[in-house]
Amino acid sequence: MSRRGETRLWIAQRASAAVLAVCVVVHLITIVYAVRGGLSGAEILARTRGNVAWFAFYSLFVLAVTIHAPIGLRAIFAEWLRWRGRSADVTLLIFAAALAWLGMRAVMGVFV
Amino acid sequence: MLDVVTYIQRQLDPTLAYRYACRVGMCGSCAMTVNGAARWTCRTHVDKVVRNETLEIAPLKNLPVIRDLVVDMREFFDKWARAKGHFHGARTRNEGFEPVKPDSEDRKAVDAGIECIGCGVCYASCDVVSWNPEYLGPAALNRAWTLVKDARETGTLERLRAVAGDAGCHACHTHMSCSERCPKQISPTAGIAGLKRAVLKSALRGEL
Repeated sequence: MSRRGETRLWIAQRASAAVLAVCVVVHLITIVYAVRGGLSGAEILARTRGNVAWFAFYSLFVLAVTIHAPIGLRAIFAEWLRWRGRSADVTLLIFAAALAWLGMRAVMGVFV
Repeated sequence: MLDVVTYIQRQLDPTLAYRYACRVGMCGSCAMTVNGAARWTCRTHVDKVVRNETLEIAPLKNLPVIRDLVVDMREFFDKWARAKGHFHGARTRNEGFEPVKPDSEDRKAVDAGIECIGCGVCYASCDVVSWNPEYLGPAALNRAWTLVKDARETGTLERLRAVAGDAGCHACHTHMSCSERCPKQISPTAGIAGLKRAVLKSALRGEL
């Protein structure tokens, strides 16, 4: 990959990390609130179904993960496994697609 | 430590190959691995590094060994060249000096990194160099940073292009082994972070 491309990946990873920092905190607070409040599955679904703000927040979360995780894994592949180049990048694209699909499947599962 | 190595060569094993020149911490040529950490042997007291009455002396890591304690430094210095570590000013000898205020922020940043003598301790201590042989390393990037912050320098954009990417500043994971081990108390990590910011600004302006 060109140096410009690698620089863009680095910027994307830092930007997605900033988004993740906020998303993870909100996510953890939400979990603690739901568990402590003793919400049932039905009560949680009643809050999430059709809730556009909730859907937008978790879609952003999934997008940030989809960008952030494969770029980090790319460095691990290169440095620990010495796996670089096109085959590694294609594998990571597939991994990114899987993350996006699984993530959005989970989001849609409680939105629709 | 250097006295110990010299003693070994003169009294115990005359075939031992090692490298030193100034003996007083100016030249940087006597760097070796002592009990696992890269150091200048001339400025290291045995009682500061001995563990369980044992000393293990080895060549610097991350560089090919020529013989015994002597490593081949070519790749280390070639990377300085690859990081565009040479100065390009705009003025000729016929013009006056360019005034540089010693207390300006840029000059202070240069001062913080300029005392590097190229001993290779940071390079031998860097995990990323051991994982990614193409990585330019802390010393070359520190040199690039001092030139990026030099008000007289004209080749900054070309230099930022040279240090961007997986072989350059973006490979640094901020482990800070280089800053911890640098005998001159330079923080290449800070310089590399500065390069990342400079490359980012340049990329956002579409210059990269």
